[in-house]
Amino acid sequence: MMKQVKIRKSDFHPVLRAFVYLMALVFTVLTLYPLLWLVISSLKTNTEFQINILGWPQNPTLNNYPTAWRLAKFDTLFLNSLFFTTVSTLVVIGLSLMAGFAFAKLRSKATPFLHGSFIMGILLTLQSIMVPLFLMSVTTGLYDTRLGVLIPYVGMGLPIGVYLCTEFIKSIPDSVVESARIDGASYFRIFASIVAPMAAPVAVTLAILNVSGVWNEFMLINILVSRDALRTLPVGIHKFSGALASDHGRQFAALTIGLVPMVVFYLLFRKQITKGVSAGAIKG
Amino acid sequence: MKRVIQWWTEERRAYLLLVLPAVAVYWAVMAFPTVFSFALSLTNYNGGPVFSNPNIKFVGFEHYLRMFRDQYFWISLKNNTLIILVSVFGQIPLGFLFAYVIHRKLVKFRGFFQTIIYLPCVISTIIVGRLWRSFFSPYGPFTEFMQKFQPGWENELFFDPKLAIVPVLFVILWMYTGTYMIIFLANLQKIDPALIEAARIDGATEWQVLTRIMLPSLSGVIVTASILAISGSLKSFDLLFAMTAGNPARRTSVLALYMYDTAFKHSPKYPLANAISVFMVMLSLVLILLVKLTEAKFGGRE
Repeated sequence: MMKQVKIRKSDFHPVLRAFVYLMALVFTVLTLYPLLWLVISSLKTNTEFQINILGWPQNPTLNNYPTAWRLAKFDTLFLNSLFFTTVSTLVVIGLSLMAGFAFAKLRSKATPFLHGSFIMGILLTLQSIMVPLFLMSVTTGLYDTRLGVLIPYVGMGLPIGVYLCTEFIKSIPDSVVESARIDGASYFRIFASIVAPMAAPVAVTLAILNVSGVWNEFMLINILVSRDALRTLPVGIHKFSGALASDHGRQFAALTIGLVPMVVFYLLFRKQITKGVSAGAIKG
Repeated sequence: MKRVIQWWTEERRAYLLLVLPAVAVYWAVMAFPTVFSFALSLTNYNGGPVFSNPNIKFVGFEHYLRMFRDQYFWISLKNNTLIILVSVFGQIPLGFLFAYVIHRKLVKFRGFFQTIIYLPCVISTIIVGRLWRSFFSPYGPFTEFMQKFQPGWENELFFDPKLAIVPVLFVILWMYTGTYMIIFLANLQKIDPALIEAARIDGATEWQVLTRIMLPSLSGVIVTASILAISGSLKSFDLLFAMTAGNPARRTSVLALYMYDTAFKHSPKYPLANAISVFMVMLSLVLILLVKLTEAKFGGRE
């Protein structure tokens, strides 16, 4: 038995093949060249950049990096990004698993309505509620506080989280829960020591989705926070590169610093990320 | 008393405690604002306390009429439409093409291409926007290249109101094609390889495999992708904010940016901004419904 039928060359028209390679090549160049240009430009002084836009620098210098780091306060930005990403991801995973367990394994007439409301949330565009969220955060006094950013971040991660967790926990056989009940375990005990550990794969998917979502989030935090001390990487980089638009070398150094964490994260977790993305793309 | 105890079972108590935190947070920051914004869009509320404020008056649909008379609303809506078109007719077909050739092993360097094509999606949109802004600017590589081919070429991409949206659309096409490639790839892998093998042994051509087996079994995914593309297009904000900020003369504005400018630039106009936000929610629902209806009419089997 053949493992896979060989595709004959004639099957795939040479013109089509050339077109596919061309497109793939175009996308590769479009991705790699600007990044390369960015890194090269970040090694130039401002004076050199103005006369030599494309070429390799005559006297490559790393001086832009420490200056950009200091001026844009990258240590604060990194710490804040780490804080918001970690806390919101942990909370989203916890709350989603809890609700998912209840929706999947506990009987209640409220489930279709409550679960359905989360599904609606997957389709809701966050951009369309930024003004009411801002007004609410001012009214409640949560404007410019860490909590005022964390709560929306958690709320924004919950729809997909609850959906994925419910689906996953449904696939755990009912008998697992029932036999533990017969042994006298409470629902919380069953959740904490049986269901939650079994749901580790979906927690990983959720972590990946949430980390990449929150780490790059810009719009909400830009609206809900004005203090320097609470800024995250995207906000800080945007403010910095806006203020120093003509200071090319430093601006490019700042952009490069901002690029590194996500690119490394992606190259390390490529498989999990692509799996998470396709799991997150559910039917509306 | 007895009946109350029976109703308040351990299961009900557990259910409530497990569900409550997620429901409370989600309803507070996602569901409530949607309703809240509709309520506010019908009033003249423009800052200050919301409750027991004697100055708040009900004004009906006044702000919606104002929105429809505003030229910037129409410019933004037009740009959102262009972005939807690029997404549905650009990103989805290209994403499918890449997924197909990678899945069927029709090209070399598959892992490399897959990694590179998806890479833009993981980078912060703000950084991508700033980078492309520099790239297309008069001091950027694009101008240099054009001037090599065409000496004396003037870069007016960011000044010409007609042209300004073109680089944005281009970047959007480049940026999100990878997402659809990943989605199609994951679903192509679900098709039973034995089915394709059997068809091939029976003498089916590659074209027949594509049109008779793969596309039909992906019809549901194509609908999902279209819904994602539409709601994703209405989400466009960060990229434009960083790349053009809606300029020149707000010609590259989109609805989200139009709402942001209305609410947070110059003197705030919250009622109008709320009307825009309600319009966006409605538009998204209507478009998704349309996709669903199209699916029901032309019925994919799944």
